[in-house]
Amino acid sequence: MPIYEKHATPIIEVHNLGFDYGAGWIFHKLNLEIPEGDFAAVIGANGAGKSTLIKMLAHVIPPTTGTISYYGKPIEQFEQWDWVGYVPQNPAKQQQGFPISVEEVVKLGLLKPNKLWQRFGVAEKQKLEAALETFDLLELRNRRIGDLSGGQQQRVFLARAMVKEPKVLLLDEPATGIDPAAKIALYDMLRYINRKQNVTIVMVSHDLDLATLAAKSAICINHGICFRGDIHEALKHHHSGQQGFIYK
Amino acid sequence: MLEIFEMEFMQRAWLAGLIMATICPIIGSFLVLRRQSLIGDGLGHIAFAGVAGGALGGYNPVLSAAIATVLGALAIERVRTRLSDAADMVLAIFFYSGMGLAVIFTGLNQEGGLNLSSILFGSLMTVSRQDLLVVILLAFLTILFVISTYHSLEYLTFDETCAKVAGLPVASLNLLLALLTALTVALSMRIVGLLLVSAMMVIPVACALQTAYSFKSTIYQSIAYGLATVAIGLTASYYINLAPGGTIVLTGTLLFLGSTFLKSKPKQAAGPCPVCENRPKMRYRLFGKRK
Repeated sequence: MPIYEKHATPIIEVHNLGFDYGAGWIFHKLNLEIPEGDFAAVIGANGAGKSTLIKMLAHVIPPTTGTISYYGKPIEQFEQWDWVGYVPQNPAKQQQGFPISVEEVVKLGLLKPNKLWQRFGVAEKQKLEAALETFDLLELRNRRIGDLSGGQQQRVFLARAMVKEPKVLLLDEPATGIDPAAKIALYDMLRYINRKQNVTIVMVSHDLDLATLAAKSAICINHGICFRGDIHEALKHHHSGQQGFIYK
Repeated sequence: MLEIFEMEFMQRAWLAGLIMATICPIIGSFLVLRRQSLIGDGLGHIAFAGVAGGALGGYNPVLSAAIATVLGALAIERVRTRLSDAADMVLAIFFYSGMGLAVIFTGLNQEGGLNLSSILFGSLMTVSRQDLLVVILLAFLTILFVISTYHSLEYLTFDETCAKVAGLPVASLNLLLALLTALTVALSMRIVGLLLVSAMMVIPVACALQTAYSFKSTIYQSIAYGLATVAIGLTASYYINLAPGGTIVLTGTLLFLGSTFLKSKPKQAAGPCPVCENRPKMRYRLFGKRK
């Protein structure tokens, strides 16, 4: 039975999206809707533009053409960025030697958008404690982020994104660089966040089999959208070697 | 009272030195961790051009240096955001341009009167009451700015992209930090010297990075290293009769070498059982289900 409810209210809408690095289109005329409560795995060949798409959804890079809207508002006018959690690819790798503790990293997620002067009160401290406990980070709270394993670091960055209780979570290859057991634990965690806390998730993944553990739907990119639908259907197409369904 | 504290000029030198030892590492912590260690030096050369330009035009050199440095900082920030992959190259270009302008202005100045040595090395022993007041005001401004924007600056320093995604006013924060750095360099240059300002923004932070485990501890430790550097350097320069600026910088270098021996090894990341470590005990109940 399909678990992807394509008729639910879309919270992210993408119209005629295109991106060109200057050496030709990575993708163009991409139309997409992410319904509320969906857990969409973005799959596609290397260089297809999976990470580019997630960066555009996070408003890190602007599209060359087309529009993105959140809750009916164009992304440029959208201000509720505390509703959106974002975990980039390998976030700790570039900052391996940075002197910052686990607690400090998670606390950063509590900062409110569009505010220069910010102080944390009792409510924020309670949220921080809850997030550290939820993601099993209490014992690691004073450890330097660079001293942790890949799986532990990914938990820290997920906690940073989740501490503000977002409505949407954007993840760029969250399982990169972590061992198989930690990958399964991570997908368990994401499944829980999506199913029980009703957080809509868009996740770039290069492993469709693994993504099936948690995702509800798949978005296959190959210059445009080559498949949009139930994740199990996507897996069937993949295993049957359907032409055009390229993602490896 | 110790002889070194008896004379008024020494009291002012101590006070100015210790205040600089506090504010420079605070600003330096953000700059070094954003890989902008040489920005103090780069801005210093622009300030140097400002002083030379001021002397040529007959304006107050501190004011002309401050204007030049603030304009330079704004320009560096603008180009840095446009060419983010080549931030060090941008800095080097401004560095050389500042030096070039200073040389031209100095050459055009027929009357002379520009004391290069006092710009580069300062004159800690001749700090006036007015100089002291400027340093105190600067310290107040710096501490106020860092306390009120601490968490936003921390996010900006650690992960500028995610800070932007979180909706923080990244452009304003970058601008304010650049302006504060420019003012610190321009206002302190004549008092403690370009060499000492730039060095105090980098060396104490480099020492703290060997032992600190968190962002907050990096700032606290870098202030402690800064204060120790100035205290030891100033005492040594007084008793051995050496130039205070140079002695303080070399004391910082020795402290840095010492701190590398204290560098803590990373603790073992995993717990006793790798399988248990990879299977986190999630306590889901704490986050409520959203309707």
